[in-house]
Amino acid sequence: MNGACEKWKDQLLEAALAGATTKDLEEHLRGCAKCSTELDEVRARAARLDALLPLVARGAEPSADFRARVLAAAEAASEGKRARPWRAWTLAGAAAVVVVVLMVAVTWQRRTARMIPGDELAGAQKLAEWRAPSDGLLRTPGQEILRTMPKLGESYLNVPVKKDEEE
Amino acid sequence: MSALIARAEVHGPEAGFGERIAENQRRVFQIAYSVLGNSADAEDAAQEAFLRAYQKFDSLRDAEKFRGWVNRIVFRLALNRRRGHGRRLTRDTAWQMTETRTMVDGAKDAEQLVMLDRLRREIERLPEKLRSVLQLSLAEEMEAADVGAVLGIPEGTVRSRMHTARKLLLEVMK
Repeated sequence: MNGACEKWKDQLLEAALAGATTKDLEEHLRGCAKCSTELDEVRARAARLDALLPLVARGAEPSADFRARVLAAAEAASEGKRARPWRAWTLAGAAAVVVVVLMVAVTWQRRTARMIPGDELAGAQKLAEWRAPSDGLLRTPGQEILRTMPKLGESYLNVPVKKDEEE
Repeated sequence: MSALIARAEVHGPEAGFGERIAENQRRVFQIAYSVLGNSADAEDAAQEAFLRAYQKFDSLRDAEKFRGWVNRIVFRLALNRRRGHGRRLTRDTAWQMTETRTMVDGAKDAEQLVMLDRLRREIERLPEKLRSVLQLSLAEEMEAADVGAVLGIPEGTVRSRMHTARKLLLEVMK
């Protein structure tokens, strides 16, 4: 196939697979011996491919005792299943015991967490009431004045005046 | 014959299961084989698919339902097995596959077997979507509708992917 015929490549494949040619291709084939030969070759290849494809899987067969083996395996599985109920009950019982133990443990832990011993409680109280020694140094006379709320018209610095000084 | 085989053919909860295996085993095996490429793995996958079907047999008594279900399962199991094995997965050669068959025309068959090996390699190189459709279509009694049911795609899509796959193979199989 020369360069000019390259564009017919796809149509030749389609023609070989479908077994029919389009009008355009037929016209081209009338004047192109190379493409006609190519089409014959592709058709022969398609026939070979169609003969080979089924052999890819269909040549293979399961062994003669396949059915018997499957049935034997199914029987073994079903016997195992029948023998298993006691195992299932044992597992269910064990799981129930574990759940109960866990529940008791959690409840016990919560209860003990609520009961704080007396010395620990006293210690905690002491810790809550603790003040830094430097707090006393930071105390000033002004703090007392600032704690009181002055009435309307009064001042924070309402220093009482001595009567003799007024006279 | 084991107790279950006898039961499978007469009555009981397993009644009909043996019959279902007989009806489906070739196709189920071939689906697995088309994906895995060797008989040992294909048989394992097929057996696992039937065992799973056995566990659900109560809901799979209908022959059509069983057929569709087991097709789907064996394809997935085979894909999983292939992914799991990766490069370790060995493929039967065409020679191993046909060792028990009689060669009518030795020279012609030899050429065909070489081509078959090559074709398998080319199928492996196809894009996943095209390869799945092709592999499923290659098993016996797998129509476009069956392939579509396994892959969850419409019948028309199956046909179009199949056509594209054949075209690509035709191009490379010179």
